[in-house]
Amino acid sequence: MSSIFDKYSPLKSRVDMMMKIGRDALGVQFDDIINATRGRIGNREILLAGTNNYLGLTFDEDCVAAAKQAIDNHGTGTTGSRVANGSYAEHVDLEKALADHFGMPSCVVFTTGYQTNLSAISALAGDKDVIFMDADAHACIIDGTRLTGASTFRFRHNSPEDLDKRLSRHGDIQDGHALVVIEGMYSMFGDIAPVDEFVDVTHRHGGYLFIDEAHSYGIFGETGCGIAEEQGVLDQVDFISGTFSKSLASVGGFCASKHPEFEITRKVMRPYMFTASATPSNISAARAAVEKVKTGDHLRKNLKERAQQLHAGLSELGYDLCADPSPVIAARRPNEAVAALEWNWLLENGVYVNLAVPPGTPQSSSLLRISLSAAHTEQDVNKIVETFGAMKNAQGEMMNDMASKLAAE
Amino acid sequence: MSTSPSRDEIFDKICELLKPYNPQNREILKESGIMSDLEVDSVAVFDLVMGLEDHYDISIPMEMVSDIKTVGELVNAVKELTSE
Repeated sequence: MSSIFDKYSPLKSRVDMMMKIGRDALGVQFDDIINATRGRIGNREILLAGTNNYLGLTFDEDCVAAAKQAIDNHGTGTTGSRVANGSYAEHVDLEKALADHFGMPSCVVFTTGYQTNLSAISALAGDKDVIFMDADAHACIIDGTRLTGASTFRFRHNSPEDLDKRLSRHGDIQDGHALVVIEGMYSMFGDIAPVDEFVDVTHRHGGYLFIDEAHSYGIFGETGCGIAEEQGVLDQVDFISGTFSKSLASVGGFCASKHPEFEITRKVMRPYMFTASATPSNISAARAAVEKVKTGDHLRKNLKERAQQLHAGLSELGYDLCADPSPVIAARRPNEAVAALEWNWLLENGVYVNLAVPPGTPQSSSLLRISLSAAHTEQDVNKIVETFGAMKNAQGEMMNDMASKLAAE
Repeated sequence: MSTSPSRDEIFDKICELLKPYNPQNREILKESGIMSDLEVDSVAVFDLVMGLEDHYDISIPMEMVSDIKTVGELVNAVKELTSE
């Protein structure tokens, strides 16, 4: 008898293999989150090194107080969309604060980061427009393009030359425009886009440049606006999207634009119009965090130092790292089984990182991915490096253990 | 004007570009499902397509790729685009 779930049997085999080796790496449950860098599973305290909590603000006094105050003032939920039920003062205030931070006239906030790109890309590209996106673009960018009637092409990762070639190959776009979509810092390898060169190529071809700074807002640039600010081209970028669930220590997202006409998209973005708006507490926590970002030089300085420390430490141990030092540091592993085994070993030994496997990774790679936080101390990073070192020494024992687990019925 | 490649030439080129994604060296037929039989993941399919775009100097939209299931269908799509 066939089942509607039969199509998932190859995937189920992969999950079953992972469960034989240890825990489900894509479904970890923490019994407690103690602070920005510590959690607890059972009786074991875990050093959190895979949370994307880049500025470590989730327990910041001012952010927590703002969220609590918002609940006291305006309740726990918004119970509907902004189109149907109206905006709260918090939504409008945060949009204004982010627009001011970018020096742009328009900004729209969303309930999640995923929904942000889904909304903005689907609204910006119409049937006659053409989207060119980086080959390593996040799933929410790919899914956003699928909601459009626009033709979509990929260009080689972080290559403005390849974008130039593909725009030229495509030729004139009849009655439409090119929308080029890139990210600032890429989430899996932690590598950084040459945004300044992308601005040049895109505008030379008459296109619009859209940057997702989800992993770079708050971390890069003099005032924390991201990679575009760091490379001195913030005022030339057409659209910048981001999330509240990383540096801004909340849940939600935003898209800002230098084009005041962007406001009209509020009336057409289906994922914006037909979803409940973000709660007052989420919005208020993010609002407080924006102020921390603007004055966060000390946080960015510590984060940079920790990234250099970790990168040097893991390199010295001989790990094959995917990019130069940045708050995301990924070690390439030989295959999914080894990566899953090591991920379990690290958790058993008190360090939580991310297991990242295809198709969610570039180049079909299996990764142990670490994201650092400004809340990590020098001692924390020492502990991560020591644990990776101990794991290297335990390889023989681990491989025997895996063989016996996989052989077991 | 360059001559448009034959279906056999396109098939051979696809087999060559599929090599890195086919470590178990499964036999590739025109009927083979790229994702279902050869177990090439969705991102790798798009990487393969970029290789074809560069080799034949054509643009293959992602929405067209989403509709392609077999190696033979990919051959047909490239044939059509190189004949234009």
